[in-house]
Amino acid sequence: MDSVHADGRAATATDVAPGARRDLLPLKILVAGGFGVGKTTLVAALSEVPPLSTEQQMTSLSDGVDDTSVVPEKTTTTVAMDFGRVTIDDSLVLYLFGTPGQSRFWFMWDELARGAVGAVVLVDLRRIDDCFAAIDYFENRGLPFVVALNEFPGTDGVDDELVRDALAVPPGCPLVHVDARDDDSCTRALIVLVEHALARSV
Amino acid sequence: MTVDRRQRPQADGGRVVPNYAFTAGRTRSLAGADMPIEALVTATELGLAKAPGMAPEMRAIVEASTEPQSLAEIGALLGVPVGVARVLVSDLAAEDHLAVHLPLVGTDGRPRRELLERLLDGLRAR
Repeated sequence: MDSVHADGRAATATDVAPGARRDLLPLKILVAGGFGVGKTTLVAALSEVPPLSTEQQMTSLSDGVDDTSVVPEKTTTTVAMDFGRVTIDDSLVLYLFGTPGQSRFWFMWDELARGAVGAVVLVDLRRIDDCFAAIDYFENRGLPFVVALNEFPGTDGVDDELVRDALAVPPGCPLVHVDARDDDSCTRALIVLVEHALARSV
Repeated sequence: MTVDRRQRPQADGGRVVPNYAFTAGRTRSLAGADMPIEALVTATELGLAKAPGMAPEMRAIVEASTEPQSLAEIGALLGVPVGVARVLVSDLAAEDHLAVHLPLVGTDGRPRRELLERLLDGLRAR
């Protein structure tokens, strides 16, 4: 079940290369937030390899109005995503995907969010507008998430309750403080997220 | 009708070989339709045996996959979008040159509880 060929047949022990570990299972966590909020920094702090970048090419119908042309116009957008990898144990591998925060890229979030453990919404308190869309998105999709305040100079000492109000963080959704450059700090944020996901899982 | 190629100067990201050449024009693969970006692949014995005779990009995928690689990593390795990597990986899997390890999710589409518990243990041990 956990190891199948793309055509659905179960992989057998005999066709796994020598040394390849069986029962490999990938997991993913999304790291969302506005431009420059520190997504890549957080991914880099946690990843065992330097963050890689991959492109997701997206085609969507253009949303122009009164389009009278016979051929529907399509727009292709290439979205770059930074990601990192954390080996959890001998068969679990966690991937962290930094997802573009701009709302025009949301059509790709559905694919990314499918099967995810949850999301970390990274927030810069000096520019909170960037995070509302992400919070709304994850709340509407029922994906467990935590709001992580990336502590930039001048943002310390802010009252958590005020922040929750200002960001409209849903009741029960954890709010954590992180230093995106610090491995331990980021690991703690992930632990809070997974605990939250577990509390909500059946 | 003439086509002005200068209109899309960086459309292929500066690659010498366009993406569609890798995949013979296909952007979808039947087998790979549900392969998520975090799906892991490992080379099979058959794949490793056949690798020397493969097209360069296929060989690169199989040889990199002696260690588990995600679809995202394959894309980054080749410098192609995830969709292109998905087509190539699906073809290799269909030939039994790669084994694909998909995420294990429950009926609610979320990772199973026991996986979350293992993840939590692993993170706490860091």
